[in-house]
Amino acid sequence: MPLRLLDCDRSIPERGKHTYIKDSSEDILPLSNIQTTPGDFTERGCTYAGCMGVVGGPVKDVIHLVHGPIGCAYWTWGGGTRPNLSDNSNFHRKYCFSTDMQEDNIIFGGEDRLYKSIIEAYEAFPEVRGVFVYATCAIGLIGDDIGAVCRRAENEIGIRVVPFNCEGFRGCSQSLGHHIANDVLFEYVVGTKEPEYTTDFDMNIIGDYNIQGDLWVIKPLFERMGIRILCTFTGNSSIDEIAQAHRAKLNLMHCQRSTPYICELIKKKYGIPYIRASLFGIEQTSKALRDVATFFGLEDKAEEIIDDEISKVAPEIEEYRKKFEGKRIFIYQGAPRAWHWVKMFREMGIETIAAATTFGHEEDYAKICERVKDGTIIIDNPNSVELEEILIELKPDIFVSGLKEKYLSYKLGIPFMNGHAYEKGPCAVYSGFLNFARDIEKTLFSPIWGMIKKGDVNSHGELGRCEA
Amino acid sequence: MRSVTINPAKMCQPIGAMYALFGIHAAAPLVHGSQGCAAYPMRMFNRHFREPVQVAVSALGEDAAVFGGAENLVASIENVIARRHPDLIGVITTCLSETIGDDIEGAIRGGDFGKSKVIPIHTPSYVGSHVTGYDNALKSLVADLSGNSASEDGGEDRVNIIPGMINPGDVCEVKHILDLMRVPHTVISDISETLDAPLILPKPPFPEGGTSIDELVNSAKACGVISLCDHAGGTAAKFLSGKYGMTADSVCPVGVVNTDRFLDSLCNMTGVEVPYSLEKERGRLIDAMVDVHQYTYGKRAAIYGDPDISLAIAEFVSELGMDPVIISSSTASGKFLRRAKGITDGEILNGRDLYELQLAVEMVCPEILFGNTHCKLIADKEKLAFIRCGFPVSDRIGYQRHGITGYRGGIYLADLITNAILDRYGQHG
Repeated sequence: MPLRLLDCDRSIPERGKHTYIKDSSEDILPLSNIQTTPGDFTERGCTYAGCMGVVGGPVKDVIHLVHGPIGCAYWTWGGGTRPNLSDNSNFHRKYCFSTDMQEDNIIFGGEDRLYKSIIEAYEAFPEVRGVFVYATCAIGLIGDDIGAVCRRAENEIGIRVVPFNCEGFRGCSQSLGHHIANDVLFEYVVGTKEPEYTTDFDMNIIGDYNIQGDLWVIKPLFERMGIRILCTFTGNSSIDEIAQAHRAKLNLMHCQRSTPYICELIKKKYGIPYIRASLFGIEQTSKALRDVATFFGLEDKAEEIIDDEISKVAPEIEEYRKKFEGKRIFIYQGAPRAWHWVKMFREMGIETIAAATTFGHEEDYAKICERVKDGTIIIDNPNSVELEEILIELKPDIFVSGLKEKYLSYKLGIPFMNGHAYEKGPCAVYSGFLNFARDIEKTLFSPIWGMIKKGDVNSHGELGRCEA
Repeated sequence: MRSVTINPAKMCQPIGAMYALFGIHAAAPLVHGSQGCAAYPMRMFNRHFREPVQVAVSALGEDAAVFGGAENLVASIENVIARRHPDLIGVITTCLSETIGDDIEGAIRGGDFGKSKVIPIHTPSYVGSHVTGYDNALKSLVADLSGNSASEDGGEDRVNIIPGMINPGDVCEVKHILDLMRVPHTVISDISETLDAPLILPKPPFPEGGTSIDELVNSAKACGVISLCDHAGGTAAKFLSGKYGMTADSVCPVGVVNTDRFLDSLCNMTGVEVPYSLEKERGRLIDAMVDVHQYTYGKRAAIYGDPDISLAIAEFVSELGMDPVIISSSTASGKFLRRAKGITDGEILNGRDLYELQLAVEMVCPEILFGNTHCKLIADKEKLAFIRCGFPVSDRIGYQRHGITGYRGGIYLADLITNAILDRYGQHG
């Protein structure tokens, strides 16, 4: 029985197709990337979240203007819960811009309000290098032509004004929002500026959002190899860096769910190849370094860096591995981290017993299936009720997920670590791997987990007297 | 007036409705809109309360945007019932479903939802703010549920309390006062336990506490109703008073005089007297304020918050001898403007954004700023003493647990203020 219906899903049998128990003798994947069941307690976000929250938002020197009623802008203020760090922190993620559409704008159209808002926002912050305009749900319905407004405003203020039609109701998850952001940035920004000079060792890092400074540990590794990073798409990126991305010799793709689109587009138009990489854990990071080195002919340099980095972290990691050996983890992430991390945790002696993604596509599930052992539960777009059932049934030693699931896990007495925003990152490459291990130690071995009491449940299902 | 909003002071209506529903026992909010309309507000609650919250969503897609989402809504309600068997489902509309123009009432009327009550709450995001969203939700709850089966006798000595968007700690302080006064009460939307739940296994399907459906039904019989935040609950109070003839009042018990007024109002409604235990609490607050008046007197304060909270804090800091030079409301309101004019001759920002507050702060140069986590930007920039209050406070721990209401809450707030002054300006600053 490869596909499994959870108890809580009995009245919604279609959910059974999204839940799979890995069996290597079969060739089955859970159903994915389709519309959420109406009324679900889903953990998914919307297209706007994928476009603005994930891909567009990290660009550090533009005004991110949200066109719509006030809420959508408010939720992504400061990155929302995403700590995309940048070196322009006096402006980036500090300010929040919205057209705050009112009822009469909904009735009579919001184009004038949008135009004025772009001009006023620019006048308040004239040092910015561009304006990104994001249309939310109501805008799609009333049919404002945001492309035309952006062109008019661009002529007026003389900096790029870029329209993103990322209304939340489009698509079944954040995933379409990533795609839209890729397409728009490619169409409007990539190729609009030439770098001052180029070298034979220019590379872009695509699909890293500098969560808690991941890029600040990733970038130096490649720079030590003699590679110049032309653009980081989009963590800590300026709009000009994205504009000159077409002159790199290679694209290194990290998040393989939110950015394959732009890698393909750049490959088609400019002939730049891309390499897929996992920059988590020793084995995967070393492989990425070697792959890049092979492309540029820098193999010796790469081996030197790998040896040096491993020697710095391996002894401590080995100590952690001994402590963690035999622990069981449930990984629930957006998509790629669910498979990036299976190997990484294994390096620490931790085995994945359940894996889930919010917006993964078939290829993500194929990669998860390749990596996990038989018997692992794989579930697509789990809702909070399903998560609760799995957590209670499997009792993983650690659950790695995001903020919305954090306090559910705590209330179930299950140690939890935030894999979206991290606890104390960065968590990428070698030095980040050590941070990751330190956080796992805190999560697993806090004495508080031993102090939780169990209550008596009376016949009405209410809790009564507690016992130790 | 600018068209663009820079650093908003308000959120949209649906989050206010969710806030209200979390205070009803075994209630499930169902957002009729995009997935983001549920996911994003959930994170706000997670960060502020550090508690799990569950919100269902009809997950409207492109088809629904074109052809309407009513069918989707009925399927959603059935799904929520099948999954969690809630006592109540609040259908919360959004800019998406309101612009589509779905007939929510019609869709609900046509369905058979068994024991679960289903209440429509209209909260288009392009009208009002989170505060009016809460107000709408409370109005819908009492209008749909109160008095439906008020068959049993008793309960005429009860007082209904509608808290508004305040913290679990605030609600606890108010309940503590009502207990000391021996006034039977129903808190309508009581988040004191639901958003401050203990960790005891097994986790119940719904958090303990919250207002039950029976209590909502019987709220019709109470002798009075007090909304602590007139802008967030005042409409429901007026409804109860208009329909059932009970006395309605609105007072936000923050500070000495406001808490005195709250007690007076309770006494007038129920005929009870203020017990000595509460006189002692008042005396302790006065004692605490005497202890700190040398530090607080003459200090210039800028206050931002939801309208009723902002006004009440302004009144309290005035009692401490401070000068509220800027009073700012998240939500525009004529009532707020009138009352603020009675408190200060300084700047009044009526529903303006926090960028406007920042400009006002640069001009007026207060020494202390009151506001939520988003005000930290201004406090840091202008090097002000900073008191966190309101929603959301996500960059520090525990603010949701400690009430600023009542006499005891006043002591806590006076201490917070004075320590912030000491931290920023020193012993002789």
